[in-house]
Amino acid sequence: MRKVSAWSIVALVAVVLLGFAELTHALYRVQVEDVAEFKQNLTQQATRRMRKPGIRGRILDARGGVLAESRARRDIVCDMSAFLSNGGISNTVAAADREIARLSGALGIDRPANLTSGRIMRHIRTASAVPLCVWRDLGEETLARFAERAAQFPGFSIEAHAERIYPRGTFAAHVVGYTGRDRTAADADSARTLAYELEMKGRAGVEAFYNDYLAGVAGAVRIPVDARGFKPRAAVKENMTFGETPEREAQHGLDLTLTIDPDIQAVAERQLEGVRGACVVLDPRDGAVLALASAPTFNPNEFVPFLPAQRYEELVKDPGHPLLNRATAGLYAPGSTFKPVTALAALQAGINPDEEYECTGVYKLGDMRLHCWNRWGQGTMNLRRALEQSCNPYFARLGYLLGTNSIYRMARELGFEAKTGIDYAPEYAGALTAPPFYPGLTCQSAIGQGRLQVTPLQVAVMCATLANGGKVFAPYLKKRAENAPRPEPVRTLKCAPEDIERVRAGMRDVVEGAKGTGKAIGARIRVPCAGKTGTAQIGGGEKDTWIIAFAPYDEPTVAISMVVERGDSGGKTVAPRVHAILAAVFGEVEE
Amino acid sequence: MLKQLLKFNWLSFLSMVALMAIGVVFIKSAGEARNIAALQDAWRMHAATALFGLIIYFTLAFADYRKILDLCSTPYFLVSLILLVAVLAFGSKIYGGKRWLLFFQPSEVAKPAVIFMIAKVFGRADKPTNGLLDLLYGLAILGLPAMLILAEPDLGTALALVPAALVMMLAARVCLRVLVPFLLGCVLVAGGILGAVHVAETSPDPATKERIYRYLPLKEHQQARLRTFLNPEADPYGGGWNLRQAKISIGSGSLTGKGIGKGEQKFLGYLPPSVSMNDFIFCVLAEETGFAGAMTVLGLFLVLLLSGFWTAVRSDDDRGRLVAIGVMTLVFVHVYINIAMSIGLMPITGLPLPFISAGKTFLVILLASLGVVQSISLHREEET
Repeated sequence: MRKVSAWSIVALVAVVLLGFAELTHALYRVQVEDVAEFKQNLTQQATRRMRKPGIRGRILDARGGVLAESRARRDIVCDMSAFLSNGGISNTVAAADREIARLSGALGIDRPANLTSGRIMRHIRTASAVPLCVWRDLGEETLARFAERAAQFPGFSIEAHAERIYPRGTFAAHVVGYTGRDRTAADADSARTLAYELEMKGRAGVEAFYNDYLAGVAGAVRIPVDARGFKPRAAVKENMTFGETPEREAQHGLDLTLTIDPDIQAVAERQLEGVRGACVVLDPRDGAVLALASAPTFNPNEFVPFLPAQRYEELVKDPGHPLLNRATAGLYAPGSTFKPVTALAALQAGINPDEEYECTGVYKLGDMRLHCWNRWGQGTMNLRRALEQSCNPYFARLGYLLGTNSIYRMARELGFEAKTGIDYAPEYAGALTAPPFYPGLTCQSAIGQGRLQVTPLQVAVMCATLANGGKVFAPYLKKRAENAPRPEPVRTLKCAPEDIERVRAGMRDVVEGAKGTGKAIGARIRVPCAGKTGTAQIGGGEKDTWIIAFAPYDEPTVAISMVVERGDSGGKTVAPRVHAILAAVFGEVEE
Repeated sequence: MLKQLLKFNWLSFLSMVALMAIGVVFIKSAGEARNIAALQDAWRMHAATALFGLIIYFTLAFADYRKILDLCSTPYFLVSLILLVAVLAFGSKIYGGKRWLLFFQPSEVAKPAVIFMIAKVFGRADKPTNGLLDLLYGLAILGLPAMLILAEPDLGTALALVPAALVMMLAARVCLRVLVPFLLGCVLVAGGILGAVHVAETSPDPATKERIYRYLPLKEHQQARLRTFLNPEADPYGGGWNLRQAKISIGSGSLTGKGIGKGEQKFLGYLPPSVSMNDFIFCVLAEETGFAGAMTVLGLFLVLLLSGFWTAVRSDDDRGRLVAIGVMTLVFVHVYINIAMSIGLMPITGLPLPFISAGKTFLVILLASLGVVQSISLHREEET
């Protein structure tokens, strides 16, 4: 009797055939119909995006001198996949360690102190597909020595990376600024982006303000990686159906030419050496910034590639605040350089400039006594003479007659208590008033004391406005194209031209008059100059000293404001410094 | 002698040898991915094991299978049971299971033991086998080793045994009035478990999910595998990793493959050699030779299986038929499950691809089993 029938075997065969049919169908689906999907999955999981930052543009002065550029820094780097060892990752770290020590011996250079085993381990864990920088910024000699021996050191290679350099060091440092690492740059790309080449962005100065213009756009390539994130071995690469694929080209940054005149800037900086202060030189015809200096200053090269934390601490804690740009962010009382504002306000209000006033050396209002710098009084004053001799009682009385509102209105028209609109940050707006109000504040404000807070840049804009006969320009640092139209003024003062001329004449007397407080400004200068001194009491017997000046008197091409902290007086402390600038621009008459 | 040569099942033998050669090629390919001598030389071991296995194959092929069954089935079965107990006691623990005893895996040894034992018990023409006791006896022959393998634990191997044994018992008509309803019940239960897991996973309420899992007889990692099977996209870097990588390998192979030895997935380490030369070798093969290669391998398996079933049909002896059915079903189950899991038709279970996966015990056992099937072909009564 047979129990196992042939039919049961046939049934079994049918099941087997069915099973094979199902497998065939499934394989057909995966290997023929959905191939594209799986191929894409493969390339996606086995590649990483690497960003290639564009080369940052240069920063040039008005005559094409290089203030900042990108140079090729050459490093010796190592590719971790060359040291891949069997067993745990620590074997690979040990192999890398050993090779670095061997190369260090062969090149006769010390292993960098921060390149510890722990750092190698961290690199492998986070970015094993990209090389690890071993020695940065090597000289020709060492590179040549390496090139000779490169064959004995597989895994190591020379790579060039763009790095910022400021060839003139501290020169115009506050204008130029500096760069720092941009940690968020890669966020625009997806999470599978490897951090490799440092991406920098401007952190201060025009480096920051014009960052987008200078930086360019980072390109990207996809590089193959294995399951552990290493670069595939050469033997593997040969067998791969995909390799390094560019996703987009890097766009290099553009060169930025500034309005900074290198000679004027150099003189301005030299004149500020050893003091705390700031100087702004504008072209009153259109607001171009010819020089902008702040002292003490810093060397932006220290920020490349990073400023060490300790050094940053030092800079921040330095009582001179070298990182502060006093020209745009330093707030001072303008002192007597504010008197032209009061004078204009008075003229606008219809006060007779020729009305005489007897200066007795003090102006009394209630309990307040406001002294003239000349304790014995300066005699008979009118507007022009009061400007020339910087008579406090005269202007205090004007303030009393005018009231705060009309003085402040004129001040605002001249650009105070607002940002000037310069293409630079940070810029402070300052303030004209602050509580508490007290009787006599108006008189104090009228002579530039009180609670006025202004920046040297605002004072320079005011000076330029007086120089050009009433046109308020926004100062600018980025040089206009040759054929571009001259910038339009932000506004024109609502003053009669003869009123402005009256104030200008007073300012000329400051320099040229027999009793002018700022005679040192224009002495022996080839062109007629005008100016105004200022000495602001800041309490504790300390004074911030000012000069504003413009020249040539008839068709001014420069307008200067300079402040020196803790000086004696504008005429004594600052005038010779401004004189040096004017001398550099216009030359001196031979005696 | 000439008669013997005519009776020799050449198709079965040649397809088997071809599959082993393919195994050598792709174990070599998989091993090249890492610079480790043991892995790079694994193909030599496979070839050597195949040669050793072929000696056993021919020894058994030329011996009369009836004598082998009579003499060896019971001792072999008992020895298997002892080995399975021994592995639980002294085995070395690898990947969370006690599966290895010295240099071999007792669970592999037990696979044909069950088949031979069932064939011996139910293949006797003189004894009716339709009683309930027969069924219980058969289930015990299957159940004892299966339970021990399950205890290792190795659910996949234990389950792979079941179809072969059940098919043999069905073919031998062992108490069909109970067995058939029982099997239908089993299918319903299995479907029910899968359904329950599906409901649990798609339920928005974690309390429901927890309640369902509390009443399911599943361990944590089994739940995870079923979950991955039902929804492989949910966790591509965790439980779904292997399946995802297997599918990427097979799929990116496309129609004609990337060339033997040029599989990217293994080189890049997405298919590590620990799995690529064993349970996932089909992925290497399908990536490097594409749909064409996969079909060739499936074709060879089909030839092997059909020639084996042909041997069963040609045999006029119930024992011969049962052994042939059992061995071929065992091979089929391995082939089907191995490939099906690689393309996501089944949950991931660690079953090797017969003749191709690197695995010495399984290869020797397969060759021995096929040797017995060849013996059935050689020792059939010629119809005159």
